[in-house]
Amino acid sequence: MRFNRNKINMMKKTIITTLVIGMMTVFAANAQKGMDKFMVQVDGLGCPFCAYGLEKKFKEFKGIKDVKIDIETGDFSFAYPAEKELTMAAVEQQVEKAGYTPITSKIERANGKIEESAAAALSENNTGTVTKNLMVAGNCGMCEARISKAAKSVAGVSEISWDKGNKMMKVSFDAGTTSLSEIEMAIAKAGHDTKNHTAEIGTYDGLPACCHYERIAK
Amino acid sequence: MKYTPWLVAILILSAGFSVAQGPPITADKPIMLGEGSFTARSLVEIRNTERGSFAYVPFMLNYLPSANIELGVDIPYLDYDIENGISGSTLADIKINGKYQFFRKDATGKTFRMVAKTVQTLPTGKDLDLMELSTGKYAGYYGVVAGYETLKYGISNEFGYNWMPDGTMDELRYKLGFGLPLLKPQYPNKQLNLFFEYTNSWLLERDWYQLLYAQGIQYARKSTTFDLAVQVPLVNDFEAGRKMRYSLLFGSRITF
Repeated sequence: MRFNRNKINMMKKTIITTLVIGMMTVFAANAQKGMDKFMVQVDGLGCPFCAYGLEKKFKEFKGIKDVKIDIETGDFSFAYPAEKELTMAAVEQQVEKAGYTPITSKIERANGKIEESAAAALSENNTGTVTKNLMVAGNCGMCEARISKAAKSVAGVSEISWDKGNKMMKVSFDAGTTSLSEIEMAIAKAGHDTKNHTAEIGTYDGLPACCHYERIAK
Repeated sequence: MKYTPWLVAILILSAGFSVAQGPPITADKPIMLGEGSFTARSLVEIRNTERGSFAYVPFMLNYLPSANIELGVDIPYLDYDIENGISGSTLADIKINGKYQFFRKDATGKTFRMVAKTVQTLPTGKDLDLMELSTGKYAGYYGVVAGYETLKYGISNEFGYNWMPDGTMDELRYKLGFGLPLLKPQYPNKQLNLFFEYTNSWLLERDWYQLLYAQGIQYARKSTTFDLAVQVPLVNDFEAGRKMRYSLLFGSRITF
């Protein structure tokens, strides 16, 4: 009898625990669903203290979550409750108040709608030469040659340089002929991860051993 | 200015290995950490000169009412022991300072900024004729701070003039600071930085000139830094009996 009672208690505990975990998962999923995602590229983050200043300023937005700052690329992202309807202008203004320069902004609304800043739209649609900085993963001189070759293979690209120290690529291209996204795709196809495009595993595995860089997590 | 070639050589040699990170210790910075933020700081200076020993303990509070304006106050306490003279403890000269950032050029992972700076020294201290610490006289400092900061390297410069109504400590000042980050730049912030800082000081009326070199180390974690530096004279063209031997500086700062 005692054994059965213990067994029943165990079963009760298991059921309750399962229910609690299940409910938490559902709540978390709903909470995540109700969050807008913001991605801003910020210029002027010259040191880790600058990133602290930026984060501190955005902590004034009550309810902000998942703050991430990559000081090497200037990529700043966070999530914010959708019901508060935070605008792109307010985000860019807050970056300015922190003492830095917003370059491009993108919002993925909880309802699936995507908003991009005027600057970003402009750089996509404009004609004429534009220069952009982008993070491209790689290790060595061979990587540099491969990245340069891949980028130059895209029509419209006029200049390219890649710094193996900070993994930043500077590329100039005719925005009427191509886009940064197309250049990124060409580089990823050659085996190198970029900020927005990942190289296929087979291509990555096929790179020489010295080129097996640390992959960019997505 | 017979030491000018000396000075130029040191500056050029320093530039050869210059990389900078984090806020400098004895020099100033042009970067401001966002509207509405406060920084509380103390940088104790133990100064040993031919004339005596002095311990300067300031409490400094800075506030940014906007992203390009900084206001601050330094309330210092001084312990002094002048050889064959007086000794004691007193409130030193209170300083009120202001900075206005008038130029900012940002790019990915780097920034160049310039600020106009003023420090108003109030005659609250004892008249010890102790430069920058306790003179018991009003002084107004007006200068420009310029800095180029990247994740790889950076330079901080300050040029200014300290004016006193009676001219006894009118001073032309130039500071140059370099830093060497020993850890990879990362966020959340965790840094260990070495600093190499130079202070040129020319007291016009007395025709005294001094070039000081400070070797510092800084540990920074999140919003806090801990600073330690030793400052020694490289050129010490001061009156006999007034020459500086060394200064030991240590302190911390927190931004909130």
